[in-house]
Amino acid sequence: MEILKCEGLRKVYGSGRGQVTALDGIDLSVSKGEFVAILGASGSGKSTLLHILGTVERPTGGRVIVSGTDLSKLDQTQAALFRRRKVGLVYQFYNLIPTLTAEKNILLPLTLDKKKPDRELFDRITGALGIADKLDALPDQLSGGEQQRVAVARALIYRPALLLADEPTGNLDQKNSKEVVDMLKLSNRGLEQTILLITHDEKVAMEAERVITIEDGRIIGDERRR
Amino acid sequence: MREKRSFGLAVRVSAFISALLLSLLCGLFYNAWKYEAERIEAEEGGWHSRIAGDFSEEDLEAIKNFANVEDAVRNEKGYGGTEPAADIYFSDKGAVLKDTPHIAELLGVPQERIVYNGALLAMYLIRAPGDTAPRLLFPLFLLITLAASFSLIVIIHNSFALSMNARIHQLGILSSVGASPGQIRIYLLWEAAVLCAGPVIAGNLLGIAGSAVLVRLTNVFPGNSVPGRHQAVFGYHPLVLALTFFATFLTVWISARLPARRLSRLTPLEAIKNVGELQLKRKKASPLLSRLFGVEGELAGNALRAQRKALRTAALSFLFSFLAFALMQCVFTLSRISTGETYFERYQDVWDIMAAVRETGIEDFKETAAVRELEGVENAIAYQKAVAKRIVAEAEMSEELRSLGGFSQASGDSAVQTDGGWLVNAPIAILDDQSFSAYCEQIGVPPRLDGAVVLNRIRDVTDPDFRHPVFLPYLKAPDAGGNAVSVLRQYGNETMTAEIPVLAYTQEVPPLREEYATLDHYELVHFLPASLWKEIKNRIGGAEEDSYLCVKAREGVTSEELTALQGEIGRLCDGKYTLEQENRIQEYEMNDRQIRGMMTVFGAFCALLAVIGIGNVFSNTLGFVHQRRREFARYMSVGMTPGEMRKLFCAEALVTAVRPVLLSLPVVIAAVWGMLRASYMEADVFLAEAPFLPILWFMLAIAGSVACAYFLAWRNVRTISLAEVLRDDSML
Repeated sequence: MEILKCEGLRKVYGSGRGQVTALDGIDLSVSKGEFVAILGASGSGKSTLLHILGTVERPTGGRVIVSGTDLSKLDQTQAALFRRRKVGLVYQFYNLIPTLTAEKNILLPLTLDKKKPDRELFDRITGALGIADKLDALPDQLSGGEQQRVAVARALIYRPALLLADEPTGNLDQKNSKEVVDMLKLSNRGLEQTILLITHDEKVAMEAERVITIEDGRIIGDERRR
Repeated sequence: MREKRSFGLAVRVSAFISALLLSLLCGLFYNAWKYEAERIEAEEGGWHSRIAGDFSEEDLEAIKNFANVEDAVRNEKGYGGTEPAADIYFSDKGAVLKDTPHIAELLGVPQERIVYNGALLAMYLIRAPGDTAPRLLFPLFLLITLAASFSLIVIIHNSFALSMNARIHQLGILSSVGASPGQIRIYLLWEAAVLCAGPVIAGNLLGIAGSAVLVRLTNVFPGNSVPGRHQAVFGYHPLVLALTFFATFLTVWISARLPARRLSRLTPLEAIKNVGELQLKRKKASPLLSRLFGVEGELAGNALRAQRKALRTAALSFLFSFLAFALMQCVFTLSRISTGETYFERYQDVWDIMAAVRETGIEDFKETAAVRELEGVENAIAYQKAVAKRIVAEAEMSEELRSLGGFSQASGDSAVQTDGGWLVNAPIAILDDQSFSAYCEQIGVPPRLDGAVVLNRIRDVTDPDFRHPVFLPYLKAPDAGGNAVSVLRQYGNETMTAEIPVLAYTQEVPPLREEYATLDHYELVHFLPASLWKEIKNRIGGAEEDSYLCVKAREGVTSEELTALQGEIGRLCDGKYTLEQENRIQEYEMNDRQIRGMMTVFGAFCALLAVIGIGNVFSNTLGFVHQRRREFARYMSVGMTPGEMRKLFCAEALVTAVRPVLLSLPVVIAAVWGMLRASYMEADVFLAEAPFLPILWFMLAIAGSVACAYFLAWRNVRTISLAEVLRDDSML
């Protein structure tokens, strides 16, 4: 089942002589339950792609359909709601709310929707990510690895159609990096979570079942590894 | 500075308000000083020292030849009101104490016969020998200025801290390339100087203009009809300007130096790493906000806690301004009700015009009948007051007085035990014969002019409620064994007596604007006709120099009619008597104007205080785009909608505006409750006139300003691009 579809996706910044084309006709299809890594060097356009998929940015041209929703037609509020319910975003620098505890950070997307959390799912996620005993802590009381796990838990709590991870290991040491990637794999297998991982680290990318290489805003490789 | 304009604006506003307040304070003080000096000169004369003696023109010329003497004038009754003296005016006031003894020596006058104008010299900070008066004007001003400067430093240094914190990253870079802490401090202070120069000048000029307006208002509000009050004329001295600039400079400099010193001490790494994001040191729940606004409320609560330092100025200024405004409104309302009840309403049917006939006994005042004949006059009573003593024998005391413990609770001279009983004060009100007869009729006794009516009442001294006094009979009535005569004694020489018949003992008083037995509850007031007084006055004396004329005009008289009537009374007495007249309606209006004037001045100060807080809120919220950019980006990244962000802003604005009110209200309620208790006023009387509306307006003005600040911030925050923030590598 196709969960993500990009057709002729274009993103251009600026105008005239200062114009920069970040994405240049990206065609991409991802099926439910896939673990895809987007690999590219700095400035290749991979983060722009993720921002468009996460409704953080609008494309200049083309179409993006995630779980049946055409992202180019969403207004600001609809985009925010889509971000909250349909995609889970994990960033390199965690992006946790510093004034909320780990538990409240994880539950924030649900709380914003005034929904009661599924305690069983919550316990499963936090248990699997190894942060069950850190739930009362504020983000700055946690290590980098723990903060990233909280960020992953927050991205998963709504059971989104798509989990977008932007260099999630970029700020972590080797041990923590491995743990985070293992957790993503675990959620991919255990929860059948579709994951789109963006990285410049080939070693991390190799952990995914499909690796798409991007360069100068174009896909130059799409390799299924298993 | 160009990049962080919103912070610069906050600093400018703070500097402007400081300069405005201090300039206003100094301008007002100078004019208060000037007014007081003019008043002393008008009342006591502008001389600086006075030497007793009958001096010739040659002597005066010799005095004038002294270097610092400006003038010397002969004063016929200058010394002790009887002896002649020379009044000396100095050009250099500092030489008064040094030169006057030399002059006296030259004239052969002993030093004991020198008098200094202590009150006037004290205005120039010169303490005359033997002057024991406290002379608190200067120390009080210095204290107020110091307190104002200190408060302003506490309040505004945060604006500088905010502005300086906004460039902490830049300071880190400067520090990393080798800028010393001293250089950074100088850089920050220079920046503050450049930012503040314009606002300080503008604030000072506006402060001078404000003090001129306020001085003008002091003439307008109380009117010029207050006896003995002269017009205040605005003045300004270059020295005052210098002092104001110095006080402002010092206040602003200390306010800027405090954060500059702290920031200059940061290591380069600390400065570069500091991204100025709001952090919460301890987690704390906001149950009320969470309940009211959901998770947005909790986030708002947390954000406000993290901004506590930045918003301290606003919190304090809103708290104090609202508290001061609400208390001021309540105090003036209480005072207005109280004055109305105890003065204007109580005497509304008693007088319309009161005239004090200077240095005239009642028997010498012959115009009462003519005043009664004037058109629009309903009644006129001429009376004079006198003091006397009377002995109250044990047997005379009423049962009620006995039950209060007799005179056991009387203090000092109120009641002195003698062989014959208790010696008490017996004030006398001597009414013109016609008015006395009318009074007799009023209390139901046959009019006679050979006896007195005794005000036979004593306040229940065990009940402290002065607003609703309970009166009890003082003496036994004659038919119950009381005396039919009263023996009045001369005040100070109680052996001189006058025995007068008592026509009646009553608790009713004649329609005079007088209060009886308020300070000394044991006074036994006697009302006498003028004819009887004429017979006994040589024996007991004690009459005041002045007489009074209490005029009641016809019902529904207007202010203009009363003024016209005052003119007619003045014309009747012109050339014969010296009159000082008061008019009930004018007095009421003047009292009202005075209260409104004071409320305007105090209200303006409260508003100014609130403006400091509003400035702080604006500076803080306008800085949100820089300071809270990452925080908002985080909210957006987890899918917070614009509507939810707006809700968060509303919660923050509500708390910022309403919390000071909620904190102040218990204090205001407690204070009002205390004042009501102390003044024995019923709560419903106060509530009927309670100043809910002005307090509500003040509150709404603060809330509206805060809402406006947050609305502008919301508009700015909406322009934040999540993608741009996410691209920022420093996002932590």
